[in-house]
Amino acid sequence: MSRRSESITLRLTLLFAAVSTAVLLTLGLLIGNTVEQHFVEQDMDQMSGKLRLAGHLLERIQTPVALDALPLQLDDALVGHHDLAIVVRSAAERTLFATPGASFPPALLARNAVRNPPRPQVWQQDGPSGAQPRRGISALLPTGIRGEPPVLVAVAVDITHHDHFMASFRRTLWLFVAVAAALAGLLGWAAVRRGLAPLQAIRQGAAGITASRLDYRLAVDAVPVELAELAETLNEMLARLEDSFTRLKDFSSDLAHELRTPISNLMTETQVALTRARSPDEYREVLASNVEEYERLARMIGDMLFLAQADNGLIVPNREPVDLAAEVRELFDFFDALAEEKALQLSLTGEGQVSGDKLMLRRALANLLSNAIRHTPEGGNIRISIETSAGGIKLSIENSGEPIPEEHLARIFDRFYRADPSRHRSSDGAGLGLAITRSIVQAHGGEIFLCPTTNGVCFEMHLA
Amino acid sequence: MKILVVEDEPKTGDYLRQGLVEAGFVVDLARDGVDGLHLGETGDYDLAILDVMLPQLDGWQLLAGLRRAGREMPVLFLTARDQVEDRVKGLELGADDYLVKPFAFAELLARVRTLLRRGGRKAEADQMLVADLELDLMRRRVTRGGQRIDLTAKEFALLELLLRHRGEVLPRSLIASQIWDMNFDSDTNVIEVAVRRLRAKMDDGFEPKLIHTVRGMGYVLEDNTE
Repeated sequence: MSRRSESITLRLTLLFAAVSTAVLLTLGLLIGNTVEQHFVEQDMDQMSGKLRLAGHLLERIQTPVALDALPLQLDDALVGHHDLAIVVRSAAERTLFATPGASFPPALLARNAVRNPPRPQVWQQDGPSGAQPRRGISALLPTGIRGEPPVLVAVAVDITHHDHFMASFRRTLWLFVAVAAALAGLLGWAAVRRGLAPLQAIRQGAAGITASRLDYRLAVDAVPVELAELAETLNEMLARLEDSFTRLKDFSSDLAHELRTPISNLMTETQVALTRARSPDEYREVLASNVEEYERLARMIGDMLFLAQADNGLIVPNREPVDLAAEVRELFDFFDALAEEKALQLSLTGEGQVSGDKLMLRRALANLLSNAIRHTPEGGNIRISIETSAGGIKLSIENSGEPIPEEHLARIFDRFYRADPSRHRSSDGAGLGLAITRSIVQAHGGEIFLCPTTNGVCFEMHLA
Repeated sequence: MKILVVEDEPKTGDYLRQGLVEAGFVVDLARDGVDGLHLGETGDYDLAILDVMLPQLDGWQLLAGLRRAGREMPVLFLTARDQVEDRVKGLELGADDYLVKPFAFAELLARVRTLLRRGGRKAEADQMLVADLELDLMRRRVTRGGQRIDLTAKEFALLELLLRHRGEVLPRSLIASQIWDMNFDSDTNVIEVAVRRLRAKMDDGFEPKLIHTVRGMGYVLEDNTE
């Protein structure tokens, strides 16, 4: 199925040519048949006229002797009609009259084959200039002789001229059809090329898009209606790309910054320590301080590895039943000392069970709770509620305090993003906690978002 | 106690040897898998610390070779990769413990001591004593200088952990994992606060001080006057 499909131009051009050829062919056949029909009718008129004439003559013959005068009368009637052939035969198969050279197929001369109304037949007759086409009819006509059966009269016309005309007419017609079809194909090709020109314009526009020019947008108004939707979709894709790319760029520069700060601390501290001899206690102090920075770095690298694995879909959670309320109670127990120091009230309502990775979910919840404890002012409260519904489990964690300013809401889950820049590099983490929490929730097929709340901050997590 | 360390990264190897020697162990260091296997087969070690990524013969093969040679000492793996498959593979092959680089040296020491105690463990005493601190495991009671001290369940568990590892520095991550089952890099402030509260109850107002902070390492319980 990977075969590349034919070019649209080629396909449309072929379709154009095929359709016009079919239409022209049908038209040609129709015209040809009509003209031929017209000739047949003309011949029939002429032949019926002659039959009627013969009929009149025969009706006037009252005695068998009078029959002998028939050829003379017919000769008179046929003066000037060289292309006509007539044969008159009596019931006893005696030829009463025949034009010179006349020859008819047996089907026309057999009395029992005669049809009323007459049916024309076409045959070839050997003439002086090769085979000549003939069309003829026959009829049984009564004579004036009482008690005598009707005689058979057959009439034929030479249709060489008609055939010649038809042959040349058909030749002209086919030539015309061929030329017209080729022309239609050519016109179709030109029209398609013109019609597809906006696509070419879109292509050129897209070709100019690079990482540094992701702000380019296709002019939706300038493309035909049929392509407007495509252009809009492409523009939306570009917008998403630009957004992701911006985040990625921010992430890279944040990452560099986050790494540079502790390393610069380490370098300065160590170099200052080395400038002169110091007491063992002073060295110990420097080393201990360094270890703290190293630990921070190690933690950050570990977190980033986790996020990178999550991005690549490498975080595959175990599936075991996890009692969320029990996990929350364990975390309350863990954070108890910290919460008590700030006189925070921790409360839990509801319960629910999900299928997931216990360690990862605990980590996700720990990040949220640790965040909440950090941002709740002294004497505040943190409420966790778990609700079970048909759609799954909803867990919300809400803390009292200052709401997150509007401008930070969209980026709160971004890596290294801190709502308060002045909190940079405080004792807590590197700003990866919420990103990790979201990665874990997403790896479980769930979602997490900020929920509206009047005062304070509220996160809501949905798990299947 | 004799420990075999197989580590190809020169600095890591040297510091592991130095750290373990200073902690009172006899240490042999091999720089690649083949040397490691040779030492392991010929020498008599109580424990092996193996890096997973080794030249010539990786940690898994080395472990398999040791087991084939009938060496049953506990094995602790060091790896730079935090992959679940690695962990599973290591445990299937008979590794006893597993540490992901970078790790706190105090954590390695604590785990080494735990592995060495395993098997040869004496029956646990019902009571533990340090200076005038007394921990009664049966009755879950703590007294200091004959004075009863009320501890919460977690505080009791923390004190018991410190006492069992008396004289060993316990890193915060190990405490979080042992007491609260938080097996990830969690908020280490919590441990600081918990230790501070425990100290307030059983060290403040008493002499000598028993719980000490080792900056950059963790906490240790010992009687420095001994």
